Amino acid sequence: MLSICHLYPDLLNLYGDRGNIMAFHKRCLWRKIPVKTKCVSLGEDVDFSEHDFVLLGGGSDREQNLISSDLMKRRDNLQEAIENGLVVLAICGGYQLLGGYYLTREGESIPGLDILDFYTQAGDRRMVGNIAVEVELGGRPVQVVGFENHSGQTFLGGIRSLGKVLSGNGNNGRDGLEGARYKNVFCSYLHGPLLPKNNRLTDALISLALRRRGLNYQLKSLDDDFEDQARGVMFKRMGIKVK
Amino acid sequence: MIFRLSAAVLAGRIASWLCRVRGFRGSSMPGLVARKADPDSLRKLAAQVRKGTIVVSGTNGKTTTANMITGVLGDAGYKVVSNREGANMIGGVTSSFVMSSGIDGKIDCDYAVIEIDEASMPGVLKEITPGVVVLTNFFRDQLDRYWELDKVIGVIRDSLREQKNVVMVLNADDPLVAQFGKTTGLPAFFYGLAGTEHSRKTSTQMREARFCPFCGADLNYDFYHYGQLGTYNCLKCSFERPKPRVEALDAGVNGEANECRLFFDRREVSLSIQVQGLYNLYNALAAFSACLQLGIDVKTILKSLNNYQPVTGRMEKFSYKEKNVYLSLVKNPIGFSEVLAALCAAKGSKDVLIAVNDNDADGKDISWLWDVDFEMLASDHRPIRKLICSGVRGEEMALRLKYAGVPVEKIVVNRDLKVAVKNALNGSAGGAYLFSTYTALWNVHKIVKQLADKEDADAQHLSSVS
Repeated sequence: MLSICHLYPDLLNLYGDRGNIMAFHKRCLWRKIPVKTKCVSLGEDVDFSEHDFVLLGGGSDREQNLISSDLMKRRDNLQEAIENGLVVLAICGGYQLLGGYYLTREGESIPGLDILDFYTQAGDRRMVGNIAVEVELGGRPVQVVGFENHSGQTFLGGIRSLGKVLSGNGNNGRDGLEGARYKNVFCSYLHGPLLPKNNRLTDALISLALRRRGLNYQLKSLDDDFEDQARGVMFKRMGIKVK
Repeated sequence: MIFRLSAAVLAGRIASWLCRVRGFRGSSMPGLVARKADPDSLRKLAAQVRKGTIVVSGTNGKTTTANMITGVLGDAGYKVVSNREGANMIGGVTSSFVMSSGIDGKIDCDYAVIEIDEASMPGVLKEITPGVVVLTNFFRDQLDRYWELDKVIGVIRDSLREQKNVVMVLNADDPLVAQFGKTTGLPAFFYGLAGTEHSRKTSTQMREARFCPFCGADLNYDFYHYGQLGTYNCLKCSFERPKPRVEALDAGVNGEANECRLFFDRREVSLSIQVQGLYNLYNALAAFSACLQLGIDVKTILKSLNNYQPVTGRMEKFSYKEKNVYLSLVKNPIGFSEVLAALCAAKGSKDVLIAVNDNDADGKDISWLWDVDFEMLASDHRPIRKLICSGVRGEEMALRLKYAGVPVEKIVVNRDLKVAVKNALNGSAGGAYLFSTYTALWNVHKIVKQLADKEDADAQHLSSVS
């Protein structure tokens, strides 16, 4: 039984982030892999080591502040689980929270969970629009597509990015990188949401979660016609050749 | 002065004529042109309204509520200026006055009923002086188009605080609207819907107002109607659902009608409207309350609301080969979920079309589709024969339905809108429901209208036989 942990679904529910849970959950069920989803909100008990996949989504500023102080209390437990291979998907505000700090326009530094080596600074323009990224999965390049909407600019330290920007802005609109990757943690500015259309990424996350459990299970292929078409429309629009 | 206004009205009229000749709908163009010729044109025209101006704002239900009020005032014998087609930013509002004005810059009207886009409230309220302001509800809209909800509410609150002699007509069931009673200090008239046996004790939909707007503590709910609408109280301070002056009880569906008992000022009457969807009953409550505040005779209000015919894409009804066809605009998660609830509540088998575009006016970010409760279509999909997805993001819509759990055999993608509409109308089901985002709406409407006899007794519409 795989266990999904949806963090603060009642607060971090911008941009259809719950679609990421649906995709992970459904793609397990369609393969008859038993899976359950647990929602965890402010102040509720959680031990991250008991879960296999954690989603940390994005929220508006007010909600972001509320969860930031709540998550700070759980920091060490989360870090330990991450070091032990917990699969995490962090999107937008949730992504920024895992880093060292957030530098506001006034120059104030708001501490993050400091689990991943990067920082974010407030930018003066919003980076909004469709975005395509090339991500390496299992040694092969995979193109993923989504929508970004952020003004924070993220700069990576000693960790690798999720991928290279093919079209759009990515982490900061300057270095051509998008997202961050550390052990089994995947961070991204892409919503849309990210996982349903980008089924190969979803399957990679499921495989990692199974492997962490010691299950070396070869994922059965599914009929991904709808996924391919939804992705294809956007690649075509952005003038990206599908590999 | 008056020459300048005349010139502005004339310029606006010419712009309107040019738009029509060239086949554009251009409902805000005349206003924008007039404002160039005379930046004070809206102020000057709006000041001529004799009895009063009614402003309607909020996330969902603006157009329907404003049109219901316009209908009642018209039936009560008054001359009314309104922006019927929902062009609700400052250009569109100015247009509606320009198009009602004589070339001499004079307007002959008793009331103006104006719906205003939430973000345009501060700008428009600087130029017109309403006697009644109706606020329907606040939900999250597409975020790349609008600011965050807190900011929208703050801006409207600040613009209302500068108003004098205004009565606010507020939805008591939405804490985000009800708070305006206290935060603006203006007199407030509340309307609301009492709980029924069908009311939900828990809400699975995403909620905007988890916390008290005054003290930040958790809001406790006795029940929900939809979204954050329901009966609530703060667990810490004194904020709670205000007692409504107009309250609906025993709301229910009877065939295609929405019915309820209305209690107000120690009286009881029955209200019935011929439009589907619980959210439309809310719109009728808002309209009833606004008209009551204006002193319109209750019988006239009830009769007019019962005769209300929806405008383009607001559960607009057509008939085609003896089946009923409904067209509805969809633009945000709560609104879309509510039209789906109306679809599920309706009897008989259905074919469904969903057209999704991602142009500027639709919102370029369509991730909100993943917050719509399509899961309700999957839980009992037997009455649904086919789900046809179209528009430039039809493929994404199909994917959303797949992950909602709708059997993929029932999902069809027709890129071409005309093929898609035909497919829905010629399906095997007894009825068809067409849902469309903003920029596909007029095209869908045109195609349906060509195909179907519009069931409108209005003589001017009788010629559209296919």
